[in-house]
Amino acid sequence: MKQRITYIVKDADDFDPEQLDVKSGSLTLKNVKAAKEHRITFGLSELPRELQRSFQQWHELHIRWASETPYSASPPFTARVSPGLHAFFTPLKDRSEGSLCPLLQEIFGHGLICEDPKDTFIKLPVLSERFSMSAASEYYAYVPNLSNFVSYVQKKLCPPAPSSCKLGAASLSSASYLDIDYDTISHAVIVNAFWSEATWKETISLTKKEETIEVGVLNHESRPDPEDIGFGGFLTVLGNDDEPKPTRFQTATRHYPLVSSPLIYRTRFSHPTGLHPTLILTLPSSHLDAPDPTCKLHTHLTLPSYLFIDKYQFNDPLFLASKNLVSLRSLSGATDLEAPDWVVPQWGSAALFELAVPSFSPNEDEPKPSGDWNVSIPMHLRYLPAQQSSHTSVPVPWPVVFWACRAEEGAKMAVNPFDRIHLGYEGLFGLKTRFMHVPPAQVGNGTGRLVEWIDVPVLDLRKTGWVEAGTVGTVIVAFLGLCWVLFGGLGGSKKGKESEKKTQ
Amino acid sequence: MALSSFFGSSRAVFSAAILLRAVFLLYGLWQDANSPMKYTDIDYYVFTDAARFISQGRSPYARDTYRYTPLLAWFIYPTTWPGHWFSFGKVLFAIGDIIAGWMMFHILRTYQHMPPQRALRFASIWLLNPMVATISTRGSSEGLLGVFITALLWAVLARRIKLAGMLLGFAVHFKIYPFIYAASIIWWLDAEDSDNFKKATPTSSDTQFNRAFAFFNSERVILISYSLATFLQLNIVMFFAYGTAFLEHSYFYHLIRIDHRHNFSPYNTLLYLKSSPNISLDSDPIKSFELERLAFLPQLLLSAVFIPLALAKKDLPSTMLAQTFAFVTFNKVCTSQYFLWYMMFLPFYLPDSTLLESPSVGIPALALWLIGQVFWLQQGFQLEFNGNSTFVPGLWVSSILFFLVNCGILGVVIRDIRTRKGITRGTEATKKT
Repeated sequence: MKQRITYIVKDADDFDPEQLDVKSGSLTLKNVKAAKEHRITFGLSELPRELQRSFQQWHELHIRWASETPYSASPPFTARVSPGLHAFFTPLKDRSEGSLCPLLQEIFGHGLICEDPKDTFIKLPVLSERFSMSAASEYYAYVPNLSNFVSYVQKKLCPPAPSSCKLGAASLSSASYLDIDYDTISHAVIVNAFWSEATWKETISLTKKEETIEVGVLNHESRPDPEDIGFGGFLTVLGNDDEPKPTRFQTATRHYPLVSSPLIYRTRFSHPTGLHPTLILTLPSSHLDAPDPTCKLHTHLTLPSYLFIDKYQFNDPLFLASKNLVSLRSLSGATDLEAPDWVVPQWGSAALFELAVPSFSPNEDEPKPSGDWNVSIPMHLRYLPAQQSSHTSVPVPWPVVFWACRAEEGAKMAVNPFDRIHLGYEGLFGLKTRFMHVPPAQVGNGTGRLVEWIDVPVLDLRKTGWVEAGTVGTVIVAFLGLCWVLFGGLGGSKKGKESEKKTQ
Repeated sequence: MALSSFFGSSRAVFSAAILLRAVFLLYGLWQDANSPMKYTDIDYYVFTDAARFISQGRSPYARDTYRYTPLLAWFIYPTTWPGHWFSFGKVLFAIGDIIAGWMMFHILRTYQHMPPQRALRFASIWLLNPMVATISTRGSSEGLLGVFITALLWAVLARRIKLAGMLLGFAVHFKIYPFIYAASIIWWLDAEDSDNFKKATPTSSDTQFNRAFAFFNSERVILISYSLATFLQLNIVMFFAYGTAFLEHSYFYHLIRIDHRHNFSPYNTLLYLKSSPNISLDSDPIKSFELERLAFLPQLLLSAVFIPLALAKKDLPSTMLAQTFAFVTFNKVCTSQYFLWYMMFLPFYLPDSTLLESPSVGIPALALWLIGQVFWLQQGFQLEFNGNSTFVPGLWVSSILFFLVNCGILGVVIRDIRTRKGITRGTEATKKT
């Protein structure tokens, strides 16, 4: 087991090396205000037998969970996914997927709708063939918190003693995102959690001799090279170092911070949503000038099966322009335009749109565009099962918004020790692409959540008592009536009355 | 009077019909070019996408929701050419409209013995109908069907049986539902020989076998064999060209589909209720007997058996109207495009009909037919755009009411036809003109 813990201090003045106390095999942080990433690497043999067997059946599995609570990202941890549970998966050739669905349900909650990866997972399109890093398929489920995961780890993975494992697991409840990666080449499982800025008072210590723990306290420094990010700070390898060692390094990065720009986005649905909700992204016009001429603004949507996009709507330039869209770049998954929700086997669909931006005059004197810039994405709801109520409320996670820009160097990005891939959208771009993420508004949907809830009208079972008898009865009476008109006697006046009565 | 001189000239009426479609077509081009709301029907994009797939040597079924014969995509192949050729399909459908109208005019003249002015008036129900012109110029294929069905009727009345058989086989291949006309046409074809048949009836050798043998007169045999051969040949060719995707999308889809999206059909709410999962918890086995699966019974008994048997020999065109009306009214799925299916027979039925001659029946019938739709559409709007759960009672009640209105109108139509005496061949009609 290897651990790497990185604290990112936002303001160098807030931090003093005195706040770190290194003793033999342990390090204590005294009120360090920082964002934190905790990365644990397990050898496959260190896992319980049951999990080992499962992992060995697969080629790769990448789990990305993000909290629905808005968080501020700190470079280099700026990459984002839509809130909820994403699983990116590639099976081994000619091998069954085994127990992936039951395992996901056991770990993240028994309510997950996952029948069989072959049916439930969606194929990921890869626009760039060379970007072979992408997994073959994706799964998504709305999982608002990690409570199920925490108790799974505590019950199934932690030893009875010491309690540090259980406490560590419990701390995941406040994580902003959690990544779990396995691939058959490394034969290792990497768990990676991120917490946004907090004040840390904690002691990290070695529990076993063979363990290595590396702790870094870093500060993001102004970039020497426009495509790199640089850090300065202190590194400590527990057991080896007697005191924090100063360090300074720079690295190419795939996810570049959008520094000192107040650009944010908000998501909402125009009301009433009806059966054809329109998702509206709102961004401040004045901050929508591209950070670089090669940058194009995109949004990546994760749509559960009850919502779908009709790709044929997005062919017309006038229609696209009226919605402030440039194009639907990619759409995969459940795109059937007619099926009700209960016959759709997949979890849903994923879409990538390129967004239009207001035009900025190169002339400095002309006023910048102002006000809100609204992008609308029309969608459609599937019919949901009849309920003992008139509406069913369904969650829709906020999409992610980012600038995708040309990068001079693509290969170097993977050298970045903090590189984050398998997010569902990088495979849709070329290898030489860097992403500058636009953060979502902290207010979220108004209650501090990055999830919109839509009320979908459904057939109300409390009112359907008469539907069957009424329909069948009406049809039978009408049928018999018409048979009588066809074959009955043609008595003059009586007939006329009958037909007239019917028309009224 | 200006109006009567207008209807006195077939050139004026047909020019107006062409002009109407040309104006709609040009207006549509303008709206499509200038507004994000398109005049062109969504289905037209389906057809033209399918034609494009064909032009790339691919299957038209590569296009989602293409549920038609590949022939339709082939008909509008020129839409894949650059520039204004994209509108070729709409022009074709509009020309089809005009040809259908022209054939209606001739059927009214020749087989219902109407003077030209009156025939033009009734043909105008189709020719100058803005709904018909809109549907074809928006690029919906329902209009194209009009020309085939009217041609079928004309061929039958003209006793061009081989041609009629081929048209029938083609129409069923194209849209399935015209199979109901087979029954009425076959039953009607006996009429000319009915005298011989009656003479034969009282003889001693009147056995079941002889009756059956007499039923299969040469015209009937020709019609059946030509229509079956055409239908099968088309299907075999399409199957070998496009494989199971053709069968699946053109035929099987229509058999297994349960259209959950709200529509005018009286069965709609029941189908949503019954296909919805996890509701059978408290229903007893008798209740869960799926009556809705038998919905095809009243529909097919009426449209393909009872109505043809009772009425075809009286008045074939009006019987076809009654059949279509029954088929659409009792169908599990019903949208306003289907109304066009029976509208093409109105010019033949309406002259001398109760609906037209007795305002106390006709006006309420039309009003109720329209009100039924308005009521339903209002409920549908509440659901679709305001998100109100109007499934019950709103949509259900309005679809049941609309169904009853339709059945009432069908009752009037059936009664009218029953009191007729072989108008299409007899001389009854001439004295009324």
